[in-house]
Amino acid sequence: MRWVTAGAIAAYAALVLAACGGDQSAGGPVKLQFWAYNEPSGSFRSAAESCTKDSGGRYEISFQPLANDADTQRQSLVRRLAAEDSSIDIMSMDVVWTAEFAEAGWAAQWPDDLARQIKDESLAGPYETATYQDKLYAAPANSNTQLLWYRKSLVQGEPPETWDELIDTAAKMDKAGRIEIQGAAYEGMTVWFNSLVESAGGKILKGPQEADPGPSWTRAANIIAKLANSQAADPSLSSQKEDQNRIAFEAGDAAFQVNYPFIYPSAADVSEKFQNDIGWAPYPAVEKGKPSKAPIGGFNFGVGAFSKNKDEAFAATQCLRNEKNQKVAAAEGGLPPTIAKVYEDETFREDYPFADLIRKQIENGAVRPQTPAYADLSLAVATTLSPPGRIEGEEAREELEDKIEKALKSEGLL
Amino acid sequence: MSTPAPTPAAAEAEDPGRLEAPKGKRKLSERARAERKLGWLLCAPAAIVMLLVTAYPIGRAIWLSLQKSDLRFPDQSEFIGLSNYVTVLTSSLWWNDVKNTLILTVVSVAIELVLGMLLALAMHRAIFGRGLIRTSSLIPYGIVTVVAAFAWRLAFADAEGGFMPDVLRSVGLIGEGTDPLAQTSTISTFVVAILAEVWKTTPFMALLLLAGLALVSDELHEAAKVDGASTWQRFWRITIPLMKPAILVALLFRTLDAFRIFDTVFILSNNGSNRSVETVSVLGYNTLLSRLNLGLGSAVSVLIFLSVVIIAAVFVKLLGANLDQQTGKS
Amino acid sequence: MTDRSTDKLFGWFSVNLVVVIAALFPVAWILSLSLKSSDTVTDGRLIPAKWSFENYTGIFTGSGGDVFTKALINSLGIATIATIIAVTLAAMAAYAIARLNFPGKRVILTAALAIAMFPPISVVGPLYDLWRTLGLFDTWQGLIIPYMTFTLPLAIYVLSAFFREIPWELEQAAQVDGATPFQAFRKIIVPLAAPGVFTTAILVFIFAWNDFVFAISLTSTEKAQTVPAAISSFTGASQFSAPTGSIAAAAIVVTIPIVIMVLIFQRRIVAGLTAGAVKG
Repeated sequence: MRWVTAGAIAAYAALVLAACGGDQSAGGPVKLQFWAYNEPSGSFRSAAESCTKDSGGRYEISFQPLANDADTQRQSLVRRLAAEDSSIDIMSMDVVWTAEFAEAGWAAQWPDDLARQIKDESLAGPYETATYQDKLYAAPANSNTQLLWYRKSLVQGEPPETWDELIDTAAKMDKAGRIEIQGAAYEGMTVWFNSLVESAGGKILKGPQEADPGPSWTRAANIIAKLANSQAADPSLSSQKEDQNRIAFEAGDAAFQVNYPFIYPSAADVSEKFQNDIGWAPYPAVEKGKPSKAPIGGFNFGVGAFSKNKDEAFAATQCLRNEKNQKVAAAEGGLPPTIAKVYEDETFREDYPFADLIRKQIENGAVRPQTPAYADLSLAVATTLSPPGRIEGEEAREELEDKIEKALKSEGLL
Repeated sequence: MSTPAPTPAAAEAEDPGRLEAPKGKRKLSERARAERKLGWLLCAPAAIVMLLVTAYPIGRAIWLSLQKSDLRFPDQSEFIGLSNYVTVLTSSLWWNDVKNTLILTVVSVAIELVLGMLLALAMHRAIFGRGLIRTSSLIPYGIVTVVAAFAWRLAFADAEGGFMPDVLRSVGLIGEGTDPLAQTSTISTFVVAILAEVWKTTPFMALLLLAGLALVSDELHEAAKVDGASTWQRFWRITIPLMKPAILVALLFRTLDAFRIFDTVFILSNNGSNRSVETVSVLGYNTLLSRLNLGLGSAVSVLIFLSVVIIAAVFVKLLGANLDQQTGKS
Repeated sequence: MTDRSTDKLFGWFSVNLVVVIAALFPVAWILSLSLKSSDTVTDGRLIPAKWSFENYTGIFTGSGGDVFTKALINSLGIATIATIIAVTLAAMAAYAIARLNFPGKRVILTAALAIAMFPPISVVGPLYDLWRTLGLFDTWQGLIIPYMTFTLPLAIYVLSAFFREIPWELEQAAQVDGATPFQAFRKIIVPLAAPGVFTTAILVFIFAWNDFVFAISLTSTEKAQTVPAAISSFTGASQFSAPTGSIAAAAIVVTIPIVIMVLIFQRRIVAGLTAGAVKG
């Protein structure tokens, strides 16, 4: 029996050792864990360091990287929050998660005085993304929006203003006339659809649990189908996400690209000449003369509902997204700020020659539906519309309505 | 291992036919009773662990599948009877995924059977390089499935710079500007998924068949050869019938394995985002762990479990009939 | 040598070649990808145009930091512990099954067979739900428990097949010759049983090293995330960029131990797989 006992003891010891990972030591600054995607320029990490220093020993923020892709980030946070994980003190939340996290009781609501402060200094669009039923559940940290990028050497005259113009212009060009846009069955598809719907004057939802189907939905589905079935579509459209768009555009396969500004600094790695050849224009409109409602992306920083040190976490969060740190994130990571003042900053304007356009789009952008069932809704939209061009017109509207209604009630397979 | 004093009876226990204690003997001897106790004692830990970690969760899955239970709406949980099952079974998505799963299972297992048989014959009869064949075919078996799936995805995805699209284009198998792994290219996505699955698991199939081949005696072959039977005839008339149980076992294992396919499909479809090859396991995973809809997801899990039970039952019946037939003959 | 046998040799040579190429090609492609520099990784060339080790240094030291290193430690630790426990429990059961006479033996074997066919996705949801209330979510134990459970059937079958082959009467003979029971066990039985135990351990380890379903469902941070799960959520250089090079390099790193193991222990692995399947 000795053999067995020894084995069992060894195994048990290993289990116990495995269990004893990570503990809070008493005394000294409060330790806070900041869970965010690993912003590549390192600006989140450096913000965590500088805030620790500025707190004068009140708290110590340790940066914990999450995956880069938003769906994966959400999954890993959500599974742990459902397990009431107290190690999530501060978390970066995609602008579309606010309602879900608030409703499920995973994100702590901000105290009124702090909420007012944040409202005063933030741009309206990003602020709205951080609220649910008029209460603030996160602090806007950075925003984002898509522009229409084009190759100046390939596009004669003024860039197209509407989707119809864009598709027609591109289809008339040769092979290099493609339009790069996100057509894979994922959240990016919902982003596109939502902007089309709002640009056409409609909305996806009336309220958190109620769909708002109308002619704008049909219109939006038709535009997606028109692009997908035109000469201008990339053959990989149905599997393309933001980065595949960038790669194809850099490879010279496309004249147009609808994407976030991260593609601009990246273009400099191809060649300076290539970067100089890139022009930008507002996100395409649905109707001529009626400005588009571009997607609003970005991240807010929230405080975990199960954190044991919420007061320190609120203070730290405020610091992480303050003017100084947003400037760094903008300058180094190219993340459009949410604090109005930063747009006046000289370095930011130098790196982002399109700063004014971005600010304008963010202020008038299309905030995505605010519902706790957003993830389901997004899945419903993305699967219905995928592969792009599969469905259009009234049929699309009806199928979307059915799937979205079910998604809002957390029913139905998606 | 423990060190109980060996009992003479135990030394003879190799014969499975001797498992049951002789009937009619009411009182067990002291020794037999001690042996019994020891047997139970030694088996208990393994049995308890297996029971706890499978029976309990499946019971809980059944219970959850009768509830409305979504972790994002913790206050809205309630008992709703069978309506989750109604939702799943009336959903076109479920049936589409069942169809995908069946296609993947049937096609890949069929190909594996043929290739596995060839590989087993090669391992069995090779004049030289037997070790080489065995070593290289074990590599796919040992490789982490996720890694293998990435290898195939990165080779075939045009969007990720794979080299295969260009090769396929140059021989005219796919059109100019088609991405074999795009959501619109359903057929080629299936082909790649099947290739990946076949590549990964043919060696395992071959090893199972090899063990069956070893049971086919050479004398029979020699005798048939003398009678003038061709190689082909000998293969069909002697090898295959004698190997039938081994083939059925191999098919059973591989079919069940293929039916629950998850890793390959999940990775090939870019973490589930290309849904043209989505299988039931991926659907279950998404519903349970991305949507955190435990009620609906559990209904999917239970249905998958039932499908597996049915498939297994069919095979066991076939196998049983086959064994009866064989023992009847001899 | 006659023409026929030359033909035959040539034939077998071709068979060898085909098998080797088929088995190694995908690995070679991943290897080539892992050695490409970041600007050429998507160029679709079979042989890297620019050779570089940046992907390897990247996964061990890059800005993603220790994600991969930690995952490697988790994988090794979890797989090793699960293997030790599973083999210990299975050896006890297999010994009883191979050597002792007791009712319920059949039940154990049938139950084990049933579990070998069990679809993991059917238990992963309830396990998550259970683990989150027990605090086992995202811990080593949270993975060790399902791994040892799902490898027990294989381990029991393989081990009992091996144990049946052991000439146990040798042990008695030694005792007759004056050895104590423990000496007899250690000197006679242990050396005879060791290869079987070892083979089983390899198979169990490969299973745990390979698993993906449990790993992505029951872990979420570097606290317990294993390599397959970590690779699948690797991050690229920017928020929207794909981490192809890092994936390839990590893939090669986790493949190396398996290839080495296969090369060294191939006979054992083959024996174990076939013993479990056929004799069981």
